Amino acid sequence: MSEVPSQIHGGKIISVDNISLVYYKEKEPLPVLADVSLTAGKDQLVAITGPSGCGKSTLLRIMAGLTKATSGTVKVLDSEVTGPRADITMVFQNFVLLPWRTSLENVLFGLSSRTDLTEGQKLDKAKKALEETGLMGFENVYPGELSGGMKQRVGVARALATDPEVMLMDEPFSSLDDLTAERLRREIHELLINPSTSVKTVIMVSHNVEEIIELADKAIVLSQRPAHVAGEVKIDLPRPRNKKSEEFFKWVDKVYSLLS
Amino acid sequence: MILALGLSILFALVIGITAARSRRAESVILPLLDIFQSIPILGFFPFVIGAIYGVMPNIVGANLAVIFLIFTSMSWNIAFGVYEAVRAIPQDYADLLNMSNASGWQRTKSLYIPASLSRISYNTQTSWAVGLFFLVASEIIVVGKQQIPVGAGIGIAATKFAGDFANYALLIIGLILAVVVWRFIFLREFALWSEKYKMMEEPREIHNDPIMRFYSWVNQRSISKLFLLTHGKGVTRFTSAISRFRRGIKYAVAIFLGIFLLLVVVTLLTRTGVTTIHMPSLSRLISDESYVLYNLGASFMRVWYVYGICVAIGLPLGIVISLNFKLYDSVSPVLEVISSIPAPILLPAIVLIPVLGHAPEAVAAIVIMLSIIWYIIFNVMAGVRTLPAELKELPRVFRVSRLSAWRNVYIPGALTGFVTGSITAIGGAWNALIIAEYFNPSGGIPLTQTSAGIGKIIVIATGNNTVPPDYLTLTLAIVSMTVLIVAFNLLVWRRVYHHVTKRYTYNR
Repeated sequence: MSEVPSQIHGGKIISVDNISLVYYKEKEPLPVLADVSLTAGKDQLVAITGPSGCGKSTLLRIMAGLTKATSGTVKVLDSEVTGPRADITMVFQNFVLLPWRTSLENVLFGLSSRTDLTEGQKLDKAKKALEETGLMGFENVYPGELSGGMKQRVGVARALATDPEVMLMDEPFSSLDDLTAERLRREIHELLINPSTSVKTVIMVSHNVEEIIELADKAIVLSQRPAHVAGEVKIDLPRPRNKKSEEFFKWVDKVYSLLS
Repeated sequence: MILALGLSILFALVIGITAARSRRAESVILPLLDIFQSIPILGFFPFVIGAIYGVMPNIVGANLAVIFLIFTSMSWNIAFGVYEAVRAIPQDYADLLNMSNASGWQRTKSLYIPASLSRISYNTQTSWAVGLFFLVASEIIVVGKQQIPVGAGIGIAATKFAGDFANYALLIIGLILAVVVWRFIFLREFALWSEKYKMMEEPREIHNDPIMRFYSWVNQRSISKLFLLTHGKGVTRFTSAISRFRRGIKYAVAIFLGIFLLLVVVTLLTRTGVTTIHMPSLSRLISDESYVLYNLGASFMRVWYVYGICVAIGLPLGIVISLNFKLYDSVSPVLEVISSIPAPILLPAIVLIPVLGHAPEAVAAIVIMLSIIWYIIFNVMAGVRTLPAELKELPRVFRVSRLSAWRNVYIPGALTGFVTGSITAIGGAWNALIIAEYFNPSGGIPLTQTSAGIGKIIVIATGNNTVPPDYLTLTLAIVSMTVLIVAFNLLVWRRVYHHVTKRYTYNR
């Protein structure tokens, strides 16, 4: 991986340029994304939101190299994303853990493509990731025996262990109950937006506006299908952000007004 | 065939509704259905012929016997469907009828039957393939007996045409056309029509997918049902049925044995006359039983090595097909048609293949394989299809090697479906044995016969126009086979199934 000095590019880690996507359903063109552009800088958490079914997750999949766009490019650290890459990883809404493997084995599975590491190094890395996500002592537990919040921790550990520079999160907290989500949100943010990790940028798809204002540095609001960028909100609220403050609600309102 | 189907549906309605409405009936009917489903019905056929033909020694009797067999092969499954459908009727509907003081018949007509229709259609589609298998198989057995005229039938024709290539080829083409027309036109219409009577919305996609249909059908089948009832976690709807099931099982066994004994007695009374019945000597009993056990062992090994071949082919094939959408869409209808062609009808052609003509073991293996490999392929396909798309994509996200993807994701993901398919496949193999091990259309020198096998001795013991049926060997063979299969299911499959569903089922 060739590291590009970030200051030359104004700290830009990801740039999505004029992405369009058209599906064909029985020869009928079905536009999903129309000319979407966005950027994300170093140590930023950028949230993508929009009405349900607008194509938020599809955009994320394009950024992950899982879906090919009809036109436009996605660049991560100045090189074009043409397929899944080692420096980009993903955390899923429904965790997507292998139920027949323990937490540790699930994290190791994420590392199995790393031919540069010995088995011992992989094991150390996996254990470290589990420790960081608060899963000490749960290494040999199967996902079926874990709560939703714990499962998502395994999901984050699996992604984190691969030393990614870009972490894509598809509604990571939306299948958790409010209390669990609240706690995990804070922890994950602290863990990821932190100079000690390899992660440089986090892109999070979410439909929870309060969650976005709490975590994100920037919110990209998409429109109805075919989705285009309806607005971009730079959230420069000082941290830690107080969810009950009047300021906080001003930002919430701002994003809501773009959504409707 | 249609007659048998009609009878099956009628029977299923009566039994299913009774079981669903009365706890007492439920506790006996459910285990009984289960036993009937898991034993090789084909083995009982000689007794059925004996009993019915003994009472009605003419063409009608022989046809009745065939109809009865197809009926038995199809009805259990449909009965389960009706039972579940009636059980699933929301309480509100029942309350509505209670308040309007509806009579039993009115309830049946206005609620139970309409509520069951979609499930009947659903289960009929797969019962049909099973029924066709039994139709051909039973006709072939009947022809083997020679002294019984049955009239016309596709299995009979195939047997008669053994050696006459042109006619035989025409027959097979005709059968394929009939299968296609029936499955894709008639059953489809029935399915669409019954759709109107659906109680609850189901995802359409799943309902219209033939593989999913097959899967859910197999899942409702016997053994898996038994396991779920006794082991299943989270099937709260059935938890109260568990204890009732356990209590009922001894009655079920008693009823089952009763029916079997009745068949034997009727057969003996009508076929050999009361005076000739005498107790067989102990030494004859022991020598007969050891002969039976020896052949049973041979068949047991045959079932397992053929199953092994089917796994080696079916598991990877099913996974590959279902991972590729385009391949799946083009291949699955083709597989569906091929799978509904009953393997026994191909026997005359297989025997003609020069290399195989003198390799009866290979012939038997091929016939069994063609009968059962579909269960594995379809269940694996359905298992992989039900995995969430994201999980199947995981190897791509983490750029994992192909080997690791198969080892960690695809094979474990297919495992639940695979085990369900295996249970059904092994059951099917025991049925297929009875055709595959011994084929003698002329009554003279058999076209193919394996050196040993339970299917072979059952067919031979059925007798023909020169040799009278050997009811002692028949009884011993069938009882031994049933005991082996039921014991194996309880001791082995049940545990495997329990473990696999616990660990290898994907839930979020």
